[in-house]
Amino acid sequence: MQYVKSIGLNSNQQIGRGFNHPYDIAFSENNRIYVLNRMYPQSTDGIRVQICDFDDEWYGEFGHGPGDTNDKFLVPVCIDFNDEEKLYVTDESHHQIKIFDKDGSFLEAWGRNTSKITSLEAPSGICFDSDGNALVVQQFKGTVLRISNDGNILQTFGEPGSEPGELNLPWGICTDTEDNIYVADWRNDRIQKFDSDGKFIQNFGEPGSGEGQLSRPSSVAVADDGRVIVADWGNERVQIFDKNGSFQTILQGEATLSKWASEWLDVNQDELNARHTADLAIKTLPSHLNTPYHKASQTEHIFWGPVSVKIDKTQLLYVTEHSRHRIQIFDLK
Amino acid sequence: MATHDRKLAAHLARRAGFGATPDELDYYESMAYEDLVDHFLDRESIDHVTDDMIYRRHPNIHAQLTHNPMHWAYRMLTTNSPLEEKISLFWHGIFATAEPKINNFGAINNQITMFRDKGLEKFDDILIELSKDPAMIVWLDNQTNHKNEINENYGREILELFSMGVGNYTEQDIKECARAFTGWTIKNSEYMALMGNKDSIWPYGRIFWHFEYDETDHDGGEKTFLGETGNFNGDDIIRIICKQEATAQFVSRHIYNYFVADEVPVPQWGHVPPKDPDAINKLSQAYRESDYSIREMLRFLFNSDFFKQSRFTRIKSPAEFIVNTLRYTNEFNVIDGADSTVYQVMEESGFMGQKLTNPPSVEGWHTGEEWITSGSLVDRVNFASKYITDLANPGVEKMVARVGESINAETSPTELVDKCIAILGELEVSPDTYDSLMTIAEHAHSVDGNFTSKPEPIITKAFQIISSSKEFQLC
Repeated sequence: MQYVKSIGLNSNQQIGRGFNHPYDIAFSENNRIYVLNRMYPQSTDGIRVQICDFDDEWYGEFGHGPGDTNDKFLVPVCIDFNDEEKLYVTDESHHQIKIFDKDGSFLEAWGRNTSKITSLEAPSGICFDSDGNALVVQQFKGTVLRISNDGNILQTFGEPGSEPGELNLPWGICTDTEDNIYVADWRNDRIQKFDSDGKFIQNFGEPGSGEGQLSRPSSVAVADDGRVIVADWGNERVQIFDKNGSFQTILQGEATLSKWASEWLDVNQDELNARHTADLAIKTLPSHLNTPYHKASQTEHIFWGPVSVKIDKTQLLYVTEHSRHRIQIFDLK
Repeated sequence: MATHDRKLAAHLARRAGFGATPDELDYYESMAYEDLVDHFLDRESIDHVTDDMIYRRHPNIHAQLTHNPMHWAYRMLTTNSPLEEKISLFWHGIFATAEPKINNFGAINNQITMFRDKGLEKFDDILIELSKDPAMIVWLDNQTNHKNEINENYGREILELFSMGVGNYTEQDIKECARAFTGWTIKNSEYMALMGNKDSIWPYGRIFWHFEYDETDHDGGEKTFLGETGNFNGDDIIRIICKQEATAQFVSRHIYNYFVADEVPVPQWGHVPPKDPDAINKLSQAYRESDYSIREMLRFLFNSDFFKQSRFTRIKSPAEFIVNTLRYTNEFNVIDGADSTVYQVMEESGFMGQKLTNPPSVEGWHTGEEWITSGSLVDRVNFASKYITDLANPGVEKMVARVGESINAETSPTELVDKCIAILGELEVSPDTYDSLMTIAEHAHSVDGNFTSKPEPIITKAFQIISSSKEFQLC
């Protein structure tokens, strides 16, 4: 698993290049990366979707929050394109799915205060099956909705709980090449796999920090060869399982300076010079800081808040970190 | 002392915590008082809103990018072990560290966590943790205290403000103390301090700090400190400090000021005697006999007569006032990512005169009557009135329902008023406040002949008057 590069830079601005708590990404057909920029309640004007690409070009942004109109965001969570190049964004506080074209023009919204799927509650993860239907996680209800592209619920599966097939505050969702469905069962510390009809197949992962154990997984993606990539959010790492759910390896993160970061340091020479004298690869910490969170908070190059894993069509893995405000890219081939 | 004393239990809950809801008081009242003291001091099962839920809804708290103690606030508002938070607040007021100088909220949050974890332990252990605390190191510049060029800042403050008080050491002791703490620094101190000075979040957000001992920058030479001579390091200095009688008295007076009754501000301690010298002496004795254990000092204190007789002799600090009020409303166990109430109430604490993690100086805040100004009093009254009368808050709804269920057609205005006073923490109100409550209760009673037809408006009105009273400012 080869590290390729990092994209991003922290920004506290409400417009322009740079991320502030990126939460999820989606890829358009023309290889642009749409980055959901979550911000936070005290700075909601900066909630938006930014568009960039693998080569660090920045193309613009849209969807500024906050607001209660359907085209605004309040607490956006996940993002994905359907096969018609429509961008779907879930908003857990508006209880809506907001749909935009790839240029950022608002098309419609489903959920509370709309005319479709008014019962939608706290959506989180979203992806699409091979028929173009949306699969949407409802975190509080512990269910997955299958929704047609004209906004009708076709199916509901899952229920709240901790037994096989039951979900506790689920977050991310994805499908594999056979249309099996994988859900990051966040509070049960496991990944649940359902077949294309929503029937439970298996789960893997258990609470803990060892190999194959998970702590609050937030996102899941499946490579073309069947490997399952999990954002092991609470353990501040990414884990890779084989197609049967057996542990394969751990990614801890190995970020380098992105192009945007290098450009920023080039015009802040005092920090660049001080940085050159520092040893940022922390090897040991005082014992009371020996937790994944503290290690990540003290060590710049490893994952901190790895909230989303997505795979592009060339089988590059993109790990989005909400607390380092960047995306680390790995080659899965 | 008699057991099952609800008013005494409420007193302990105000001092060892942030007050008690009616349900909590039911539980506390069922225990013998001595057992209740142990219950506060020796918690084994601690419950509060969990970090994973906070971080999922508020990634800015995960990254500690916002200059506001929201993470701490969630703990104070939801914990079932409030003494942990109360002791953190206590040490934060003494070891006052201001985040705006260091610009690393992760470091200050870790310091608060250290107070929570160690705050009831032995004072020498607490001072060692404090001396290794990265936020404190940068706050008092100890990363610039070098073997060949000492910076006395930390050496001076650990003696003057953190342990002994002025008049109990010499200028030479300060220098020797500073020499002993050379080499006590943070990892990558130059880069980290520069990022802090510039409030830099670039390129990839904050990097939190951790302690590093640099042997090559430590002055290992002989030092004479408080009459003892040796090749002292920082932990030797702390050992010598902690066995001084001045330290016992200093710590005892702080504990008395915070848990028993308001004292004059610390700068006056050199010439104004303690309010209760006998209590200070007894606390000092507990300090020595327990090998400097803060927990055992508090166990002695909470069981003492001078504590039991000290009801409503302290003015709540703004943070205590806010947390006390909001624990009644019980609205923070479910976290909404769009909700910025916790942020706002912590800012409100600042408007009232106590912005946590931003004390006015290394002296901390002056307490007691200095909390109250005409402006801060208006803020307090408006704040409490807003939250304690809002029936949308589950805790308020529950308290109103509890009073409502306890009344019948025969309930008199006096009985209704007494029930409302009791449910808000067994408060004791002045005759003026009581008369105001009786006026609205008698008026409501005269309209309908009883309170049973629609009790909510009169109960919430009574809550508004009680929470606006001067007595509600006391604990």
